[in-house]
Amino acid sequence: MLKEKEDKLGFLLDNLKKQKILVFEGSLTKTEERDLIQRTMEVIDQQNFTGIEVASFGEESNFIQKLIQMLGGRKSGFTVIGPASIVKEIKRDPSKLNVLAGE
Amino acid sequence: MHFRNFFSWISKIFKGRNDFTIGLYGNVNTGKSTLANRISKDWTGEEMTKSSEIPHETRNVIKKEHVELRIDGHKININLLDMPGIATKVDYREFLPFGIKEEEAQQRAKEATKGIIEAIKWLEKVDVALVVMDATQDPYTQVNITLLGNLEARGIPLIIVANKMDLKKANSSKIKQAFPQHKVLEVSALTGQGMQALYKEIVKV
Repeated sequence: MLKEKEDKLGFLLDNLKKQKILVFEGSLTKTEERDLIQRTMEVIDQQNFTGIEVASFGEESNFIQKLIQMLGGRKSGFTVIGPASIVKEIKRDPSKLNVLAGE
Repeated sequence: MHFRNFFSWISKIFKGRNDFTIGLYGNVNTGKSTLANRISKDWTGEEMTKSSEIPHETRNVIKKEHVELRIDGHKININLLDMPGIATKVDYREFLPFGIKEEEAQQRAKEATKGIIEAIKWLEKVDVALVVMDATQDPYTQVNITLLGNLEARGIPLIIVANKMDLKKANSSKIKQAFPQHKVLEVSALTGQGMQALYKEIVKV
């Protein structure tokens, strides 16, 4: 379980360091959000990678939602993450999302 | 979560505990150090840290131990922790407009990233959290959401402090709308406005 989480965050960070913007179905758990911030701080190098902008939408799954997902159902929520060098700001609103991007 | 709170409450009664570790958390530049200084000065007569408009002024966890609060006949001892501001990015170039030289700015940025890691690690150790938000800014940030989510998941009691209420642009209703499940107290750490209500709430928690 721990390895799976580390792999997920490692995968996200590898791609963010390659200057990719990631949008995926499903929200990060609160622990994943916290660990992502912590691991981002560990890999900031001040030249090529200065951090991330992230917005994770949707509630963390409860037991029934997790069961539905295990049986192949849809994941709730979605997540947008980009490197801070490209994504300047993600403004959240309960009904919309504004992403300000630019070099 | 309710069970955890209940057992924590029972445990405090049996241990006769009246000392707590309170962590001041929040985004960068929300006035955490100004608030820490205000609390420290009100109860010990001296400030505990340096505050500044330059982002990431606090880059280590600053601790003030044995601060005794006496409110409405209650007495509690708190260990006050001023945490580095949490951010998802740290760029040394944001320090340059403040007249900081490039080399120093890079060092500052490096220290800031370490400070954020340290603050995150402390999330599991505090007894109570004051989540400080700048009432002039949009409260619906990922940092606030992540902080509140992690504190809630651990059953750590928290109070949201809508700070900088002395400024014209301040609007605490946005914070209340964004996080309706939590108590929001309006404060100006700079002028002292709302501090008595905050102390009363701390004692209740």
